[in-house]
Amino acid sequence: MRPAKVSLPPLLRATTFRLALSYLGIFTVSAMALLALVSWSTSVFIEWQVQETVEAEATGLSEQYRERGIQGLAEVIGGRAGQDQERRTVYLLTAPDGGRVAGNLYGWPLDEPDAAGWMRFPVEHLGEARLATPVLGRAYDLPDGYRLLVGRSLHDARRVKSAINRALGWGLALTILLGIAGGYFTSRHLLNRVEAMSRTARRIFGGDMKSRMNLSGTGDEFDRLAAGFNEMMDEIERLVEGMRAVTDNVAHDLRTPLNRLRSRIDMVLLGEHDAATLRRTLEETVAEADELLATFSALLAIGSAESGQRLHAFEPVDPGRLAADVVELYEPLAEEKGIAIACHADPGLKVAADRHLLVQALANLVDNAVKYTPDGGTVAVTVARVGAEVEITVADSGPGVPEPARERVLDRFVRLDATRSTPGNGLGLSLVKAVARLHGARLSLEDNAPGLRVRMRLPAVG
Amino acid sequence: MYAPMRILLIEDDLEAAAYLAKGLREAGHTVDHAGNGTDGLFLATSERYDSMIVDRMLPGLDGLAIIQALRSSGNATPVLILSALGKVDDRVRGLKAGGDDYLVKPYAFAELLARIEALGRRGQAGQPETRLKVEDLEMDLLGRSVRRAGREIDLQPREFRLLEYLMRHAGQVVTRTMLLENVWEYHFDPQTNLIDVHISRLRQKVDKDFEQQLIQTVRGAGYSLRAAR
Repeated sequence: MRPAKVSLPPLLRATTFRLALSYLGIFTVSAMALLALVSWSTSVFIEWQVQETVEAEATGLSEQYRERGIQGLAEVIGGRAGQDQERRTVYLLTAPDGGRVAGNLYGWPLDEPDAAGWMRFPVEHLGEARLATPVLGRAYDLPDGYRLLVGRSLHDARRVKSAINRALGWGLALTILLGIAGGYFTSRHLLNRVEAMSRTARRIFGGDMKSRMNLSGTGDEFDRLAAGFNEMMDEIERLVEGMRAVTDNVAHDLRTPLNRLRSRIDMVLLGEHDAATLRRTLEETVAEADELLATFSALLAIGSAESGQRLHAFEPVDPGRLAADVVELYEPLAEEKGIAIACHADPGLKVAADRHLLVQALANLVDNAVKYTPDGGTVAVTVARVGAEVEITVADSGPGVPEPARERVLDRFVRLDATRSTPGNGLGLSLVKAVARLHGARLSLEDNAPGLRVRMRLPAVG
Repeated sequence: MYAPMRILLIEDDLEAAAYLAKGLREAGHTVDHAGNGTDGLFLATSERYDSMIVDRMLPGLDGLAIIQALRSSGNATPVLILSALGKVDDRVRGLKAGGDDYLVKPYAFAELLARIEALGRRGQAGQPETRLKVEDLEMDLLGRSVRRAGREIDLQPREFRLLEYLMRHAGQVVTRTMLLENVWEYHFDPQTNLIDVHISRLRQKVDKDFEQQLIQTVRGAGYSLRAAR
């Protein structure tokens, strides 16, 4: 059987509170150990004081004996015992035959002395309550067979000790109380901040993409966490915005040809046509559908290159060979337009790449170059090693791209040719950009004076 | 011109399957259709086919699993995989599983027909050839030379490979994508019809000085190497 799941209130579930509690436990145990040590050393100190007192008393009495003899000693003892109403100090002077000469004790205690000669024995205390309290005492042998016992009640010492213990106990209780309260308030403070964070997260989850974590401004761990979270949200928002823009563009760019497609079919359905016309219309329709599909797959290719899904398909690739292949592919086309196309590639270079994607990117660049270069122009492709990088350039002698538009032409569906008289979907350079990013390459558009030079720098391998 | 084939079509989209089967039958082939993976594997193992068209995602048994099962039991029937997954990785995975060709949806029927007929031919190929001959056009694969009506034709290496592919598939329709994939060995979409320019260059060398044109353009599909009818 599974143990029933105990549902704790949030505060008790809070990590900080549990942490505070365990620290409190450790602290309590160590405080108790400390208090025990203090209490023990106090009682040792008090007993030592009692012993000192007893020794001093005994020394004083033996001086009396030396000066005034046994009789004098008995008088002094009698006097002192008489003054001590509560019997804090006990005395017993016995004759050589064991008979009591003086003192406030009636008989010699039966207890055996310890190794240092000290005895502990109970004596009836004559104070407030007539309680038996232990006495610490010592026997002294006097000349002529007389024996003297001096002892001192531990009653006061006990009281001091218990007062100290009581104070320590209260201190301990207070410590625990403060610890619990402190733990409670700290964890509640932290819990509030965590709670605020999870509220924000839920709000964002609920669709409010603009929501951000509040920062307390102290720069503590929570602020750092919140700042990291906010940065992440900024990036996500940027991506979502980008995606939305693309979707809008896609909707626009696909809707127009789709609508054309539809009207064409409508027209055919409405009128009476001979077989040849029908066939021609259908062929045009298929060509248009193919164009749509090409746009669609270009978008998918950009999307997959941007999401970096193909990283594992990377292999060492000779960029010079790819460039030569692409130039060879376009050579007849360039020749038809009277464009001189050439490829200068250093042999034996290697980059880590997805072969098909890199070829697609190069083909897009060369395609653009051939497409926009006027008859009789030139297109040059170079592949060379520059430091730790491989630099691929595609340069043409066409109209080029004016400086302010160079960033923009890399975006999706951007075409500088406003009349859209040349074929194309405005995705070629976007794919180049996405492929460059996927391969960790730097892409720049430059003035070839005249024309455009696209420079791509990829990290070289080996 | 070509031998009619017996084709097994495993495709769960019934409308697409009906359209495909109709087209293939009109092209002269016999078609059996299975609507799910289990039936498909049953038919593939119990009957003999010249080639198969297998959709990648099927209810019951996945398309790749069918191909793997067939290959591990020694069945070498050529398989064309149809898939909506068009990434290079997906293609590689499909071919690794034992597929012979991979076509991404949506596709033109002409493309599919050309590819399945090319596959059927591959299935019949015996030992490696050293000479190819179509009408009066001869190719020596070892000596890397081409002659037409006894006259030497000088070709660039790429032109040679292009002509070789066309000759190996003589009488069949060969699409532009097939040429790009097999002659240049790249999978990408050229934005311009590059292949057409290469073909017209080849024509200049192979057909220009001869009365009989061998490289035919097949409208809406691609090219075919054969004597004009």
